[in-house]
Amino acid sequence: MGEFKVHRVRFFNYVPSGIRCVAYNNQSNRLAVSRTDGTVEIYNLSANYFQEKFFPGHESRATEALCWAEGQRLFSAGLNGEIMEYDLQALNIKYAMDAFGGPIWSMAASPSGSQLLVGCEDGSVKLFQITPDKIQFERNFDRQKSRILSLSWHPSGTHIAAGSIDYISVFDVKSGSAVHKMIVDRQYMGVSKRKCIVWGVAFLSDGTIISVDSAGKVQFWDSATGTLVKSHLIANADVQSIAVADQEDSFVVGTAEGTVFHFQLVPVTSNSSEKQWVRTKPFQHHTHDVRTVAHSPTALISGGTDTHLVFRPLMEKVQVKNYDAALRKITFPHRCLISCSKKRQLLLFQFAHHLELWRLGSTVATGKNGDTLPLSKNADHLLHLKTKGPENIICSCISPCGSWIAYSTVSRFFLYRLNYEHDNISLKRVSKMPAFLRSALQILFSEDSTKLFVASNQGALHIVQLSGGSFKHLHAFQPQSGTVEAMCLLAVSPDGNWLAASGTSAGVHVYNVKQQKLHCTVPAYNFPVTAMAIAPNTNNLVITHSDQQVFEYSIPDKQYTDWSRTVQKQGFHHLWLQRDTPISHISFHPKRPMHILLHDAYMFCIIDKSLPLPNDKTLLYNPFPPTNESDVVRRRTAHAFRISKIYKPLLFMDLLVERTLVAVERPLNDIIGQVPPPIKEKKFGT
Amino acid sequence: MVQLRPRASRAPASAEAMVDEGQLASEEEEAEHGLLLGQPSSGAAAEPLEEDEEGDDELDDEAPEELTFASAQAEAREEEWRVRETVRRDKTLLKEKRKRREELFIEQKKRKLLPDTILEKLTTASQTNIKKSPGKVKEVNLQKKNEDCEKGNDSKKVKVQKVQSVSQNKSYLAVRLKDQDLRDSRQQAAQAFIHNSLYGPGTNRTTVNKFLSLANKRLPVKRAAVQFLNNAWGIQKKQNAKRFKRRWMVRKMKTKK
Repeated sequence: MGEFKVHRVRFFNYVPSGIRCVAYNNQSNRLAVSRTDGTVEIYNLSANYFQEKFFPGHESRATEALCWAEGQRLFSAGLNGEIMEYDLQALNIKYAMDAFGGPIWSMAASPSGSQLLVGCEDGSVKLFQITPDKIQFERNFDRQKSRILSLSWHPSGTHIAAGSIDYISVFDVKSGSAVHKMIVDRQYMGVSKRKCIVWGVAFLSDGTIISVDSAGKVQFWDSATGTLVKSHLIANADVQSIAVADQEDSFVVGTAEGTVFHFQLVPVTSNSSEKQWVRTKPFQHHTHDVRTVAHSPTALISGGTDTHLVFRPLMEKVQVKNYDAALRKITFPHRCLISCSKKRQLLLFQFAHHLELWRLGSTVATGKNGDTLPLSKNADHLLHLKTKGPENIICSCISPCGSWIAYSTVSRFFLYRLNYEHDNISLKRVSKMPAFLRSALQILFSEDSTKLFVASNQGALHIVQLSGGSFKHLHAFQPQSGTVEAMCLLAVSPDGNWLAASGTSAGVHVYNVKQQKLHCTVPAYNFPVTAMAIAPNTNNLVITHSDQQVFEYSIPDKQYTDWSRTVQKQGFHHLWLQRDTPISHISFHPKRPMHILLHDAYMFCIIDKSLPLPNDKTLLYNPFPPTNESDVVRRRTAHAFRISKIYKPLLFMDLLVERTLVAVERPLNDIIGQVPPPIKEKKFGT
Repeated sequence: MVQLRPRASRAPASAEAMVDEGQLASEEEEAEHGLLLGQPSSGAAAEPLEEDEEGDDELDDEAPEELTFASAQAEAREEEWRVRETVRRDKTLLKEKRKRREELFIEQKKRKLLPDTILEKLTTASQTNIKKSPGKVKEVNLQKKNEDCEKGNDSKKVKVQKVQSVSQNKSYLAVRLKDQDLRDSRQQAAQAFIHNSLYGPGTNRTTVNKFLSLANKRLPVKRAAVQFLNNAWGIQKKQNAKRFKRRWMVRKMKTKK
């Protein structure tokens, strides 16, 4: 294996935006998550909680509500007053319709899925009809005095509960008039000057309305008479979200202190038929406000300002008690936001609205295993490139030679040429990009930096020839058949002959770049691809999937390699399959064809294909034993998967030149240190 | 001590018996007072005052002036009439001023509005085209004007009514420039509301540093706060120091040579 010099990089100031709303779709077992910067991400919960698609954000879009409607249609509404529909196949926004009520605070789809209700800033509740290709305004309900902050349909679709400031109104859908107006106390058993904001309402089929408000109360109301039935004080701060299960026997609420409470309908005594709502479990998995919760049939989902997405499966609902019932926390991105130029030791960091280019530092000292070497030259922040316009950056890439930078937003594509003279760097933009290159899902440069491969969101793959300061469009591979399953990933072989593209349900397509035609297709697998790379010399395509399977496919032979077949026959070690985070980057050692370098957020692994594979009984995580152990022992315990957990949480790991690695880490405390302030916690003695 | 006003008596002879304790401010006031009391102020009643005032300074024993009742009465009446006149004049002056001001305002307002003909056309056009538009009542009034092509998105075609050009020679189109500003200001107001309700005064928030350092405070061996160093302190000072150091080094090198 040999020793490596590792550049430990911690100057990537990556801070994800907080989660604002989640929406769970039962039929497809998918979760749509909307963040405060307008990004909407779709997680496939059955594919090991992998983020398969995302829609980039926009500065003026402040999404406040997200919901699924009939037929897998996703709608969102925000403070810019518009209702947007997302096209999950074309991965763009179908249309944005202004509701003309001012900023929209809440949105709910009817139980039948054919109508959409929005609550606006001016106090009006508007009903929209969902037509096959658009939505159409139907009518307004009675206008209320203050902004409508939460909405809920009765399961039969006849009544609506709307939570506002200091009161809750119940509307009759047919007439559109307010039937009841229930005044909410500003404080549990007391008076207060601060208005009580009803953050969430839920309407149950027996006519009970559950409301959560900013005074920390959960209240049960009877909608037939318009009276308060029960009131629970559960927090000292706001209770900001509520979600009810489909069977209506449990619901979950999230508070501003980071606690998530589970309420269940339990019988009063063990054999009575009378039931009551009881607060059963508190969960403290967040440090900041929990702004949104969702209830799937088996799990509680919560997300908030501290940017974590937490899935807590409920033990009584889970059928098989295996690793699937464990807590899942998604903090780090499932895509690679960093690209590396190996020749010049440059790293390109992608943020939401700008790119940063850094040159790695260097050292002349040497040491033995485990030493920290002092830097003789510090890392250099070379470039801070701000994007024009309010849209977020979708993807970016730097060429291996370091002279081209390309990035794409939804509407434009940018290509820059970099010139290095001595220690200075100068940037020149290539103007007049063609229209078909915009809204690229993935950008990749070839190894010799003469070609640029762009996967656009229409499904087409474009090859652009770069020469000097200009470019020329060579060829466009048209979209293949098969529905779009996930974001497109690209991989190019180091000799420039082969290009692999994933993303459709048909499998991974491999194209011959020189002859500009489709070479072969790797058979489809039912889990999405998380990372791909083509090995030098042997031209083996290594693919990793979200269920932690690794496949190796030989492109010239058009079949899986022998090693891959052996691995599949034996199966992976159970601890390998139980890892939480997907593999996001694969690289190879140019001089050692038997090694594959992989990493995910919490470990870094070198797979040595020459060594035997571990079976379930051997120890998977087996750090290099000390040299005074006998060789026999070492040979017996050595297996193909050399895992290192020294550097974590890892965002990126790559092999630069022989014997040098770069590891970009992002400690969790650095992210938490930059999110909005939390609620004060009073502890005895402080 | 309370100064009592001397009572005006009918009989002039009782003037001598008057107690001259109080002093009235002026003769007129006395006359008015007498009038208000409904008693004819006798000349004799006025007399002793004069006598008193003068009597304090000089001890001359002059005979008082003889004023007839009628003349004094006439004088008093004249005074009264004069006062009433001034008040009336003031009132009429004010009234006139107000009237003039009102007229001036009406004229200015008229000047501000468009000529009558155009207004008529606008109102008739909007009457025929008003659709049921959701939202505030204000918007209905504002929607009498057309939207500029650049501002209007495709999605707005459904709701905004297009007004046919109103002028006779069709050389201009009324344009609503405040549209985007209104939207932005409403969005800002909404975001300010959320910020205030979650992070504003009255909410119990603390800094992230304090929050994360709570655990450190309770350890058996107390540790420092998580973000102990404040790197943003004195940036200018540090920069100046760095620059000075560089220049000093250069100078040192030069002098060494």
